[in-house]
Amino acid sequence: MIFQQIANGLAMGSIYSLIALGLTMIYGVLGILHIAHAGIYALGAYLGLLCFRFVPNFWVAMAMAMILCAAAGWVVQRYLYQPLLKLPRIVPLIASIGLFIALEEIYRLIAGPYVIPFPADPGFKGIQIGNIQITNQQFLVFIVTFILLSFLWFIMNRTRTGLAMKATFQDMEIASVMGVNVPRTVALNFLIGSSLAGAAGVLVGVFYNSVYPTMGSIPAYKALAIIVLGGLGSIPGTVLGAFFIGLSETLLIGVVQVPFPRDALAFIIMILVLMFRPYGILGKG
Amino acid sequence: MMKRVMIVGFLFVGVLLISFPTYSQDIPIGFFAPLTGFAASDGRAAKNGVELGVSIVNDAGGIKGRKVKLIVYDDRHDSKEAVAIANRLIEKDNVVAVVSGSYSMPTRVTAPIFQKGKIPMVAGYAVHPDIVKGGNYVFRNGCLGEVEGAAAANVAVKLLKAKRNAVLTMDNDFGTELSRGYVARVEKLGAQIVSHQVYKLGEKDFTPFLTKTKEANPEVIFTSGYYNEAALVSRQAKALGIKAQILGEEGFDSPKFLEIGGDAAEGVIFVCLLNRDDPRPEVQNFLKKYKQAYGMDSEMCATTSYDAFMIIAKAIERSEPKPEAIRQAIATMKDIPGLLGKVKEFNEIGESKKPVQVQIVKGGQFRFFAEVTDPEVITPPSK
Repeated sequence: MIFQQIANGLAMGSIYSLIALGLTMIYGVLGILHIAHAGIYALGAYLGLLCFRFVPNFWVAMAMAMILCAAAGWVVQRYLYQPLLKLPRIVPLIASIGLFIALEEIYRLIAGPYVIPFPADPGFKGIQIGNIQITNQQFLVFIVTFILLSFLWFIMNRTRTGLAMKATFQDMEIASVMGVNVPRTVALNFLIGSSLAGAAGVLVGVFYNSVYPTMGSIPAYKALAIIVLGGLGSIPGTVLGAFFIGLSETLLIGVVQVPFPRDALAFIIMILVLMFRPYGILGKG
Repeated sequence: MMKRVMIVGFLFVGVLLISFPTYSQDIPIGFFAPLTGFAASDGRAAKNGVELGVSIVNDAGGIKGRKVKLIVYDDRHDSKEAVAIANRLIEKDNVVAVVSGSYSMPTRVTAPIFQKGKIPMVAGYAVHPDIVKGGNYVFRNGCLGEVEGAAAANVAVKLLKAKRNAVLTMDNDFGTELSRGYVARVEKLGAQIVSHQVYKLGEKDFTPFLTKTKEANPEVIFTSGYYNEAALVSRQAKALGIKAQILGEEGFDSPKFLEIGGDAAEGVIFVCLLNRDDPRPEVQNFLKKYKQAYGMDSEMCATTSYDAFMIIAKAIERSEPKPEAIRQAIATMKDIPGLLGKVKEFNEIGESKKPVQVQIVKGGQFRFFAEVTDPEVITPPSK
């Protein structure tokens, strides 16, 4: 049974990693906590659902959602954060929170406060490995996450663009002096991060068959806890952090039966990490 | 400077004028429900039910020649909001009675306020026991939580012959009351509770709970939850290959459950108060009228809130549109009209006794499965 719980936890972890990655990349490059990222995540779910209504194919909807969210992310960066870059960090943070709240309300006004089902069938059947039942939703999550994470890894480690991004993470000024096109790299970060969030939105919408305006609330804070755990700005750290939280939540509920609500666990873990290892698992100073 | 003083002066007078209550012959009746937020679907159904009742009454000429004016508020399932609404209904809107179309939590916190303000409130479907303990001005049309839970236990043990029962409790007023009733009755009937887990309202991922439940190998899983949780539990249980029967309660009674649950909703059984196959003409007429007016099928929240309003309307008809008289009329009413079944009367503390319906999802529709009339189960406590 514990292996089943581990499978459950890994599925949650996969979803968390897709959401948190964008957040850590944007922090890494701009030093801004992009809370509105959770708004892009919810946007992905809504846009995916909308596309699905026209073209009832899950993969098309996912692709469209990713592209449109990438565009949305770019718009946010260009028109919200870029003008505010020279100001103290708290200003873009507040702007981000404001945008997030506005987005939730916009979704509610346009699409209604109700939970809307997202009945996309990706065409997988669940599989059974021994005693463990991997539901078709979980299987889908694993496949999509694997594809996207591999893609990201490839870009970061095997392309010049990835190299440029890593350089920008380390030190923006020196990277620029070294010939890296910093504005373009920043924009690319937002594009990639936001498209991942969009993918996560569609996945979660289908996973739970629920799309609703406040679906970004919990991920907004939880993703924050995850990137702190993993090390702000560290991509592998965030992935590790996401799986760690996903597993802990599931195991603590399913096996140990801790009386805390599941969402509190992520924050308790974050507090503990900050107390003993403030830079996170793989963070640098 | 003078100009500024004049503008402020005008604004002040304007605000004063707007806030004077307008004199009218209408009978003001208050109503609150969660019209936005996660419970919005139920809240909207409750509002639809009551508004249909109001239009039926008003189209027939009103009560004693005066039309009913329904004053609607959205409590957003927030206790602070509910308290503010209750105070407003009493002090500003001067209502003579109130229908609660809301969940247990907002109804429970406002009950003492209405009691103190001596305005009778009839709760449409909220289940928590403390609601009627607010005082003799508070009545419950719906089912008491532990009664409903006990009825579910009857279904599980007597009808479904389940010896091994698992319980998934939603951690709020509604969920805990129902589970309490269920567990107590199951054990009284001599069956076993093999697993009992608690989850937080709003939970979306039930796989850890269900995996653990699956281990215990139950025949029935009693799940307390609203339509979101109900749908997700059903889907995830099905995906995990759980063969046990899912048994639910009135929170399942919503078209949203069918919509979000999809084909995992098929075969789910739940206890509630509305029997859509009830042959009585008043029930079928209501269902038809509701569908005509709103384009969707009625559900428990709509019918119970409609009943609650009709009780108040009947009370006003038999007495007069004054809060004290209404309260007296409700408390002494015999053979209360109801879509939910014949209710004889309200007992000393404001609870009513009626059979509990059991519906099953068959062919994507809610259909009659059984009715629990065991007096041991359905008689609510009288103190």
